[in-house]
Amino acid sequence: MIVGEQKPIQEIKEMVAPYKRLLILGCGTCVKTCFAGGEDEVATLASSLRLAFRGQGKNLKIEELTIERQCEDAFIQEAARSIADSDAVLSLACGAGIQALARRFPTTPVLPGVNTTFIGVLESQGLFTEECLGCGDCELARFGGVCPITRCAKKLLNGPCGGSRDGKCELDGDTPCAWQLIIDRLSVLGQLDNLRAQVPPKDWRLSNSGGPRKLVREDHII
Amino acid sequence: MGAKYKPKITIFHCTNAFSELASLSLTGGNGFDLRTVKLPCSSMIKDVYLLRAFEAGSDAVIVLACPEGECRQVSGNLRARKRVEKVQEILDEIGIDGRRLSLFNIAPEDREATAKIIRKTLSGLATLDSNTAS
Repeated sequence: MIVGEQKPIQEIKEMVAPYKRLLILGCGTCVKTCFAGGEDEVATLASSLRLAFRGQGKNLKIEELTIERQCEDAFIQEAARSIADSDAVLSLACGAGIQALARRFPTTPVLPGVNTTFIGVLESQGLFTEECLGCGDCELARFGGVCPITRCAKKLLNGPCGGSRDGKCELDGDTPCAWQLIIDRLSVLGQLDNLRAQVPPKDWRLSNSGGPRKLVREDHII
Repeated sequence: MGAKYKPKITIFHCTNAFSELASLSLTGGNGFDLRTVKLPCSSMIKDVYLLRAFEAGSDAVIVLACPEGECRQVSGNLRARKRVEKVQEILDEIGIDGRRLSLFNIAPEDREATAKIIRKTLSGLATLDSNTAS
């Protein structure tokens, strides 16, 4: 999922201060799962902002709504009426959702309430970890399902670096060494021979380094 | 603080910590207003419930939970404490003062402890202005 965290209330407060009618729009998919932008977060933020502005004598009218996904036009449409009634939208979606919303409603200011941080997993209760950089050329088969590009601080494809201590990265003692994980996993799978092959330099043109990417599925285009 | 200031306190309580808090003789007529909300477990409290209590005019909000290690839902009171701590931070950020919100672990039906908590909350409020955001 895409992992994000809500911006500090003070920053949000400054962003929304010029407006009188605000829609706080949540997204019921990724950011809901990471407690950044689902129904609960929308309600909590709305209440916090009302209290904050009331204390300053300003009456900000806030509407609350959460749709299934903000990155798909079909779902965005459900918010059309609420957006029409608002001076601005504070989106609690990821960056993709915010931009999809801005594209769909070009005359309404769409403000980010969430900092999109990474593609990751819920590792344990309340702990989200980055697992994928979206490099555009997945090599997880070679590495036993552990991504050295995302999880090795040095992004080594022909590791390990030698700095690992007790299975932890030398840069951060709390972070598992990705190469330790790769070796452990390949050992269990009986695929340690995978590491005999030298991995060629990665083609970063397939990642965001080559500019914004586009995926065209001709089979779905009429 | 005006001479007619009558603090409003809202208590969210686990039904196992206190079955009928509203029946306390402390309710009303003692220079403060008390509203109580019974929950099946203190962990049922949500951040927004606490904030809305302040929106509704509470000067202080108290959460009464079972003693740590004695929650019937195992860790409900620990979750409640985490939520209270988070909302205290929010209250500080928005200028309402997180000290207006507190959580206490009390033994089941301990009326004396509850009365003390309310007195302590009232004396704490005496050092703060009324909730200007209400």
